[in-house]
Amino acid sequence: MAATRRLTKEIADIGKGKGSAYRLINWDNILTWKVLLVPECVPYNKGAFHIEINFPAEYPFKPPKITFKTKIYHPNIDEKGQICLPIISPENWKPATKASQVLNALLVLITSPEPEHPLRGDLAEEFTKDRSKFNKTAEDYTKKHAEKRPTD
Amino acid sequence: CSDDYEDDEEDINNYYNNNEDDFADSEEEDGDSTSNNNDIKTSNNNDINQSGIIMTSKLEHFSSKTMTVSETNEFLWKDCDKASVVLSITPAMSRLVLQASKWKLAVIKTRLYKTNKPNFLESGLQNATNSKSIEKVKSSRPKVCGVCLETLHRSKLLALNCGHQFCDGCWKQHMVFAVKDGMSQGIPCMEPECTLLCHPDFVKQFYPVNQDSPLETAYKTHLFRISVSSHYQLRFCPGVDCTSVIYGEKPKPRKVQCLTCKTAFCFECGTPPHIPTNCETIKKWLTKCADDSETANYISANTKDCPKCHICIEKNGGCNHIKCSKCSHNFCWMCLGDWKNHGNSYYECSRYKENPRIASKNSQTQAREALKKYLFYFQRWENHDRSLHLEAQARSRIQTQIEEKVNSNQGTWIDWQYLLRAGELLAQCRYTLQYTYPLVYYAETGPEKALFEYQQAQLEVEIEGLAWKLEHAGEYQRGDIENQMDVAEKRRQTLLARFVTV
Repeated sequence: MAATRRLTKEIADIGKGKGSAYRLINWDNILTWKVLLVPECVPYNKGAFHIEINFPAEYPFKPPKITFKTKIYHPNIDEKGQICLPIISPENWKPATKASQVLNALLVLITSPEPEHPLRGDLAEEFTKDRSKFNKTAEDYTKKHAEKRPTD
Repeated sequence: CSDDYEDDEEDINNYYNNNEDDFADSEEEDGDSTSNNNDIKTSNNNDINQSGIIMTSKLEHFSSKTMTVSETNEFLWKDCDKASVVLSITPAMSRLVLQASKWKLAVIKTRLYKTNKPNFLESGLQNATNSKSIEKVKSSRPKVCGVCLETLHRSKLLALNCGHQFCDGCWKQHMVFAVKDGMSQGIPCMEPECTLLCHPDFVKQFYPVNQDSPLETAYKTHLFRISVSSHYQLRFCPGVDCTSVIYGEKPKPRKVQCLTCKTAFCFECGTPPHIPTNCETIKKWLTKCADDSETANYISANTKDCPKCHICIEKNGGCNHIKCSKCSHNFCWMCLGDWKNHGNSYYECSRYKENPRIASKNSQTQAREALKKYLFYFQRWENHDRSLHLEAQARSRIQTQIEEKVNSNQGTWIDWQYLLRAGELLAQCRYTLQYTYPLVYYAETGPEKALFEYQQAQLEVEIEGLAWKLEHAGEYQRGDIENQMDVAEKRRQTLLARFVTV
């Protein structure tokens, strides 16, 4: 299967990624990756976030889907963990895009939210109007809900 | 009898020819002729139906042609050939350039002569980078397909002008999926951020040899759709299940009719013909009707303004004794009179007729007045629509009446045709009248509007006169009715001539 072969190669390229902002934790089912995001920026640098990447059987001709398994206080990620990431939307998807590029794009979105097209309008408003309040709430939220950051 | 018939036909032909001459004149006056369409045979849409009535006037339609899918394809490829000569690229590649510039070859030419650079960039035929850097991209990349990540011999790798190389298997898969998903504006290159589109020649090499493939069929269908919808002179017929394409030489917001399924529509916006109202206004009006009719009906049926403070009150119970929640005024819902005067005579609210209160102008009353104005026009719009339906039924009744009359030896079939003609003319006039209401609704108050309303009223009088005479055809002479037809049509033409500007 084309998807499996490409994903095997991609996993080899990514490796364990120690010290990087994301770590591949589990790929027992090669079409479902479990990844731990370890953002370096305020207000998300007090924890780590579990996400799941689901690759369709038609991958890489169809884009993967990403869901957050850890709760996060972010204008572009809703309560169910759904996320709006242009690079993996069906209209924009390009087959030569690698999973590592998708993960990097995701980290960029986390670092700099896009309040212009939010999934959570209230958070976007708070983000634009009262940044310090937003950062405070998001940090508290991270401490309360996020995973422990890996020590290495 | 047969002599009569021939005379009739001659008259019709004269009428038809005259009209065509008129039309040719008006075309010359327009003078904004486009360069490349002399080869297509345009048929004048001034159709006469069997009874000899000119169904459309030069104000309402323009020269158009109904084409089949294969005729359209031929027409499109002819343009591609011409463009390929101008741009010195293959016809298939120039198709992308044409699609990006609405198929206006003149625009492509002008741009080429002015800047010496064809717009390959916008059309997805070339990147901003020059050919040297493309070579660099090509040679610097390892012999790996960027999609399946397999290492392959260089000859197995294919690229568009951007130099992003992928193996033929991946290209083909990509195309199959792109086509399945509807291929919005074309099949893009597989490289992230690359804006290039696959041109038809490039796609062609992935068709299986010597057989019809789903890829080929689907790709051609989508390409056809993209081409027609991007072409400034072509429109898909909006008729149900109709595959025809309508060609309009000089696109204008005018009525065209598909000769295959007989659907008439406005060439510019695709909605039913709406002269004398323009496309923008009719869109606003139709949306308003769709959005507001329920709300409007509800407001007028269920709310009234408080006679004291004029706030809008919704009645949600059965009792007619209303106490305004804003100003605490007690009043009767029926007559809007003070409740104190009602006493026991609740159900015989006698003050209703004698007390039509006219409230002063504040925001609530204004809202209600705006609604009243809308309903005024909407009811007329609706009413004429209903009349049109009813009169369509009446026309089929006329047909049977004529047959009966002919069978009982009261004149010949030809003798009674004027009744059918009158019916059709009535429908045509009423249709125009119906579409004058949105225009008036949005028109600004002033002498123009006053004149329009005057002419509209004149037309309405003649239409209702004609409708009456047609309904009571037994009591009127043929001359009477034909005279009335003439007057009504003249009124209609006068109105159109004055107010159709675009």
